[in-house]
Amino acid sequence: MASSQKRISKELAEVTTNPPEGIHVSLVDESNVHNWNIVMDGPEGSPYAGGKFKLLLVLPNDYPFKPPKINFKTRIWHPNVTFDEHGSMCIGILKPEAWKPSSKILSVLTATQQLLVEPVPDDAVETSAAEKFKNNRAQFNKEAQEYTKKYAK
Amino acid sequence: MFQPQPTPFYPFSSYGPPPVSSVPQLAQFHPAGPGDSVAPTMFADPIFTPTPVASDAGLSFHFHNTNNNTNPNNLPPRYKMSGQGVSDLEAQEELARNFQPDLQGPLVGEKKSSLAIAEEYAKADPIYVAKTTALPQKYSHYRPILGDGNCGWRAAGFSYFETLLRLGNQAQLEEEVARMISLNNFLTTVGGFEDWLFEDMVEETTSLLKDLAELMPTSPQAAADLLRQRFNDPNVSNAIVYHLRLLASSWLKGSVATYQGFIPDNLGVDGYRKNWLEPVDQEIDHLGMTLLIDVLLKPIGFSVEIVYLDRSEGTQVNSHIIQAQDSNGAPTNPGGPVIHLLYRPSHYDILYKDRPPIPLQAVAEMTRNPNIQVHRATNFTQHPSSIQSTPMGQFSQLDLNTLLSIPGFGLPSQPSHQGYASQYQSPIEQGYAASPISSISPISPGASSATTPSSTVLQPAFSAPPPPPASSSLTSPKLATPIATFPQSTTLPVHSHLPPPQRPTLTTHQLLAGDVPSPSSAGSYFRPSKYEWEAAADRAQEGPVQFLTSTFKNSHYNTAHYNNPNFQPEEWNPDGEEQITSRKRSS
Repeated sequence: MASSQKRISKELAEVTTNPPEGIHVSLVDESNVHNWNIVMDGPEGSPYAGGKFKLLLVLPNDYPFKPPKINFKTRIWHPNVTFDEHGSMCIGILKPEAWKPSSKILSVLTATQQLLVEPVPDDAVETSAAEKFKNNRAQFNKEAQEYTKKYAK
Repeated sequence: MFQPQPTPFYPFSSYGPPPVSSVPQLAQFHPAGPGDSVAPTMFADPIFTPTPVASDAGLSFHFHNTNNNTNPNNLPPRYKMSGQGVSDLEAQEELARNFQPDLQGPLVGEKKSSLAIAEEYAKADPIYVAKTTALPQKYSHYRPILGDGNCGWRAAGFSYFETLLRLGNQAQLEEEVARMISLNNFLTTVGGFEDWLFEDMVEETTSLLKDLAELMPTSPQAAADLLRQRFNDPNVSNAIVYHLRLLASSWLKGSVATYQGFIPDNLGVDGYRKNWLEPVDQEIDHLGMTLLIDVLLKPIGFSVEIVYLDRSEGTQVNSHIIQAQDSNGAPTNPGGPVIHLLYRPSHYDILYKDRPPIPLQAVAEMTRNPNIQVHRATNFTQHPSSIQSTPMGQFSQLDLNTLLSIPGFGLPSQPSHQGYASQYQSPIEQGYAASPISSISPISPGASSATTPSSTVLQPAFSAPPPPPASSSLTSPKLATPIATFPQSTTLPVHSHLPPPQRPTLTTHQLLAGDVPSPSSAGSYFRPSKYEWEAAADRAQEGPVQFLTSTFKNSHYNTAHYNNPNFQPEEWNPDGEEQITSRKRSS
């Protein structure tokens, strides 16, 4: 078994036996450890509370030397996630130049959860959401809740 | 802001300095520049693939091209300006940001003749040309490493395994397995890394060591193949490289006092580890290399010579040896194995000094190969077929008596002559002391590696028969023919030691004497007896001797001839002249 698969299997075991709160992990296909389905609860205290967000985590063949890719499959109105079918997320830990093999998938998942609680508008990919988040927080929260109800059931 | 204009120099003349977004700026973002540090993290590593674009020649070409060609209509599509200066700049920055070097080839390439480096730089600036031309005389081979940001780590790592293999000591390989496993403790306690992070990587290192130890006694070749195969498997190779990064990072943490002063940019130990050592694909810098050598190679007595190929002044590459030293600065393991690494700005390859005996056949093949053979000699006016098709390699191991049969190539008419070996050590060639021969012959410098000095000397001498107007004589097919047929009419015993003199066949003799009207051939028919020669050979060390035949002097094999690829003007030296005259008087 390639060393990348060994590492992924270990991390998968860690996440499934002792899952972080509000995160559920399963394999898309049992025979392939590289693609993970994630279901993330909208964190309490955020406009996403009550929603269940599906994410797809893809681990490259040269993991852990290249960062995993993570996308929201559920639409989410968030400054750091594109509001489209790709749901591409901008998160520092996953940038290729910042990625280190000592980062774990678990820390990627908790960082994602944290991003829902605290968006980073200065590093936004969805600029209109970022504008609202900065200038009209109430309006932003309202819209985010509406979209959560609409998409993230 | 800046509108493209049909008149090439219009924007510059009317606006003064070119606008920020003008075309020449683009050239700076061009990937070709190894020293280009616009955004170090973006340019993962410069590439030194054999394509000419990768060298500095490529860079200067692009600068030149774009500077002289400000008309946007003539530019390649990607350089075209939108007419919106600001968005233009953004587009350029975008280009630079998203630039991915076109990485081709294996992670660790095949070992090849270091002449390839000279070829790569043949069109670069003179400093590179001079340095790369001199390089193959010291380092016969090199192994290219892919410039993916890990080249320095991978080059040193590969050399570590390869040197262990070369030493051929199975017990040492097994000791290394034990050392690597024991370093795990060092990684956790000193480095602060967790087991789960490195255990898979260490396993790749140790299993490679074990497999090499197992294969080595029965088949060293299979072990070498396995090593290359593992290092070209990205999974294994990157795991081993990252293991080395962790070792270096831990070593820094463990000896802060030693290295603190060398940490760049006030990063501090942790900042340096985080920014330079631990990110994947972050190229190794000098401190990183020092750390790696200190933790991996010094403890087992391996030295590393780093050969710098850069634009600093000089005709020879500079090099620096890093080795374990005692408190007095003396190497603790003198004569130990040395790893040679070729450093070009932000890139490492491996160099080799070994000159394995190249079989005659291989030499002939090598010289027949036009790529190697006449690459540097394309300025010559000779008919290509006359030299390319000539199996000159077969001449490379001629024994002495064949030479003596050629009129004008016997020893100059002084009984006290000091022997062949020193004939080429004229002052002009002192700079090439490592292997004077290959600097003289553009035909097959590689061939000289096969032979001992006594027989090598004959090669260029023998290939020198062209009469004084050297280049024009080579165009003559008439001349090419006798040379080509020569080996068939003579027996060419292969000796690395001096054989007893033999009378050459008469046919050969006449053939050459007839077709090559050398001015010196008429008068100097003198040939010393073997006894005299041996006596002369004993005195070979006494001092430099000028090569006296005018045939050689006037041929392009003489480095003082303007057609020689290694042309070096002859300098008049009053002392040298006096020596010669005094010797003549004394004889």
